[in-house]
Amino acid sequence: MATGEVVHVHAAPQGFIRKYIFSLDHKVIGLQYYFLALTAVFVGMFLSLLMRVHMIWPTAVLPLVGEIKPETYLSLLTMHGTIMVFFVLTTAPQGGFGNYFLPIQIGAPDMAFPVLNMLSFWTTFVAFVVLLAAFFVTGGAPLHGWTGYAPLSALTNAGPGQQLGADLWITSIAIFCIASLMGALNFITTTLDLRAKGMTMMRMPLTCWAWFITAILGLLAFGVLLSAGILLLLDRNLGTSFYVPLVVVNGQIMGHKGGSPLLWQHLFWFFGHPEVYIAILPGMGVASQLLSTFSRKPIFGYKAMVYAIMAIGFLGFMVWGHHMFMSGMSPYSAFAFSLMTMAIGVPSAIKTFNWLGTLHKGRIRFQTPMLYAIGFVSLFVSGGLSGPFLAQPVLDIPLHDTAFVVGHFHLIMGVAAIFGMFAGTYYWFPKMFGRMMNETWGRVHFFITLAGTYCIFMPMHYLGMAGQPRRYSQFTELAYLQHLIPLNTFITYAAILTIGAQFIFVINLFWSMFKGPKSSDNPWEATTLEWTTATPPPHDNFGGRTPVVNHGPYEYSVPGAPRDFVMQTDPASVRTH
Amino acid sequence: MHHVATTHDEGKGQYFWVWGVLLILTAVEVVLAYRQVFQPVRMLEVLMVLSIIKSALIIGYFMHLKYEIAAMKWVMMVAVVACLCLMGIFFADAFRIIHLGVQ
Amino acid sequence: MSDVAVQHGIAGAYEPSLFGTYSKKIGMWLFLLSDSLTFGALLFAYSYGRISNPDWPTPFGKASIANATIMTGCLLSSSLTMVLGVLAARRGDFRWTRWWIFATMVFGSAFIVLHAKEWSGLIGEGMTPFKNPWAPNVPQFGGTFFTLTGMHMLHVTIGVIYLGVVALRKKFLPVLLALWLIVWLVTPADSIFHIAVHVLLVGAVVAAVILFLKPKDYDAHDVEIAGLYWHFVDLVWMFIFPLVYLMSTRV
Repeated sequence: MATGEVVHVHAAPQGFIRKYIFSLDHKVIGLQYYFLALTAVFVGMFLSLLMRVHMIWPTAVLPLVGEIKPETYLSLLTMHGTIMVFFVLTTAPQGGFGNYFLPIQIGAPDMAFPVLNMLSFWTTFVAFVVLLAAFFVTGGAPLHGWTGYAPLSALTNAGPGQQLGADLWITSIAIFCIASLMGALNFITTTLDLRAKGMTMMRMPLTCWAWFITAILGLLAFGVLLSAGILLLLDRNLGTSFYVPLVVVNGQIMGHKGGSPLLWQHLFWFFGHPEVYIAILPGMGVASQLLSTFSRKPIFGYKAMVYAIMAIGFLGFMVWGHHMFMSGMSPYSAFAFSLMTMAIGVPSAIKTFNWLGTLHKGRIRFQTPMLYAIGFVSLFVSGGLSGPFLAQPVLDIPLHDTAFVVGHFHLIMGVAAIFGMFAGTYYWFPKMFGRMMNETWGRVHFFITLAGTYCIFMPMHYLGMAGQPRRYSQFTELAYLQHLIPLNTFITYAAILTIGAQFIFVINLFWSMFKGPKSSDNPWEATTLEWTTATPPPHDNFGGRTPVVNHGPYEYSVPGAPRDFVMQTDPASVRTH
Repeated sequence: MHHVATTHDEGKGQYFWVWGVLLILTAVEVVLAYRQVFQPVRMLEVLMVLSIIKSALIIGYFMHLKYEIAAMKWVMMVAVVACLCLMGIFFADAFRIIHLGVQ
Repeated sequence: MSDVAVQHGIAGAYEPSLFGTYSKKIGMWLFLLSDSLTFGALLFAYSYGRISNPDWPTPFGKASIANATIMTGCLLSSSLTMVLGVLAARRGDFRWTRWWIFATMVFGSAFIVLHAKEWSGLIGEGMTPFKNPWAPNVPQFGGTFFTLTGMHMLHVTIGVIYLGVVALRKKFLPVLLALWLIVWLVTPADSIFHIAVHVLLVGAVVAAVILFLKPKDYDAHDVEIAGLYWHFVDLVWMFIFPLVYLMSTRV
């Protein structure tokens, strides 16, 4: 097209509000997302602590909530899941790091639509506030879990939290969908349109590829959840029967008829499974980036990595039914879903193999970011290996709704993704704040967190196989679970320890922000574009110039080169691999 | 408004043609449905085929996708069509509800 | 808010776009992609309900079908005027662009009015989101009908406001507020549209905020992407019309 493309770059803002609150700068918005997620993760963590303590000491009176009744427990569980999945795992890696570093890594002055970017953050913020409001309304927070299964979620008299709390929950999710859609289309357009000269798609860092594919997943998945949420709201408030069959609640026949709870599950998981990859793909990108940088080796099989991300994204849309083997879904579709789910192991294994190949014979620098990247791979493998068990209907039937599933998805989607975020934080902190984080405390934090999370989630696999169900608020009374109490107590102690260790991280984060040693522009001797610019980056990222890219993203230990790394912007005359 | 040069000013004629064809296809649909020419399932198939032709005309001509580059055409259309086709899996369960006799 | 423009073209400092076109158009296409899945999910939910309830009513008689056919004609014609508006904008013909957009808005408004009349009629016959007079055992009929057409009508309304803003900018706001007031006053207090008309007020507020944030002339690109949105609304109707109306014609 001969049309002159005009990219609008806003001038540097003046005044506190335009600079730090309603900022159009993707870097500020990225940090806003990051700190929103940091707040959310502590709320979510606190809820999980209450649940763990309640499981072992059911009669204990706890701060803020008092004695936990079964419905309180379900509220905690719902809010823990929702906050963690939506406002931490979706928000921090994509909205936070993606916003901050995608434009810089591809050499753009900002996102393609800065105003939309700002709106996307503030909409997310509103969604978070609406969700938290559910704690304070009559009846409290909803009981239906983060998956909001109908008919429980669709009936207003099915429990105390199912009144206004559930309406707020659905509203929050719908608002979050809109925010994510705005973010996703911004990410995709930026990647397609604003790459600096020479930054071809196949020269993009794997982080950018991960953010790009994640955005595509978000774009295609969140619209469906939006529809599902609208229908659920209608079922609750206008008396329609999309999800509710003829039901009797407390001896009273409800007015609904002919709906199908399976429809909600289908629509929800059509979004829900891609959502799992929305959470984990950015972590994979960060791990790839860091393993290469700190092994001082090119990433093993760059193209295979790119195609594996694409394949995971593609297959991620075809496997949602593996959450529904126990729901009464057609066994023929269960067969197809099982097959596709097993197939998704192939690109995942390719990625793992390539990560190990990158480490092999590398000159590894064991700094904190690298430790977290290796931790990510470890958790990804540990959590991933229980996937093939659950992918088969025959094995899923006994394991479904047991602690086995809890262990599986927390390892792979929860903790692995969080490790990706930690890795990103320790790695990019010098660029974001111009100072280094404390290395010693970083390592202490890493080893306690790694050991702690394994102590929490590995035993859950045994608990699940021994028959401990999930979502039960009290099991200490049940005879057949008596012998599992010691293991559960161990898990709770491990959880308390791990949560305690996170305060090391927060203190390190805020202390280093103001008191840490000043960092150079490229402290890790990395190659990608964010390390070519000033620290912290100027308003338009590159100080009025646009970088020209001559090399791929992972040119480490190039034979004959003056240094052991070749920056992407180094002159084309420098020979690379 | 700024003047923006284009590489494909194809003239108005074709849009009137497309509009005419869309109206005719709509008329065909209405007549088929109102006269109940086919059994319901066959009717659904015929109407869907006609609707897909109509939407292809709208996307291709009115929305100019015909004149975009191949990458854009393929990526966008494959993504949305694939997702919509996948949702067809829902129906396996809708049919089961009848057979199981759930109210 | 001063915008600094950076040239991004074939000879610019950036790689050529992978989709070979400008960012705003790609953004709109991506939005439509996700919106088509939103509508897709609603249509699949409708079909799911219909398959699992064999006694689905088929109440639409001659008058309904004729009305829906005229509505379809309105939308198709509005697409034609829109595309002519886009052509005029490309030529730089400011006056004609405006006239064609007005024509589009008139067709769109006609669609809304006809649709609203139909809704009122159906509600008058006793159809609500949770019951209908034709098949008491299938409460989904009303729910799916109102959800699908309501969502679509919302999109048409947003489209008309969008086009008005593109064509008239700030001058459109008083028109919109006047429309809101008139409809609010003429509809009876128990009518659904007495409440639904507040969408126009919300639209006016949003439009005012957007016009405040980006007070600019809308160029040919903006007209083109507004057109994309409008054609998409038309496109969705091409599926709602046969699935909701034609498949439910009275035998």
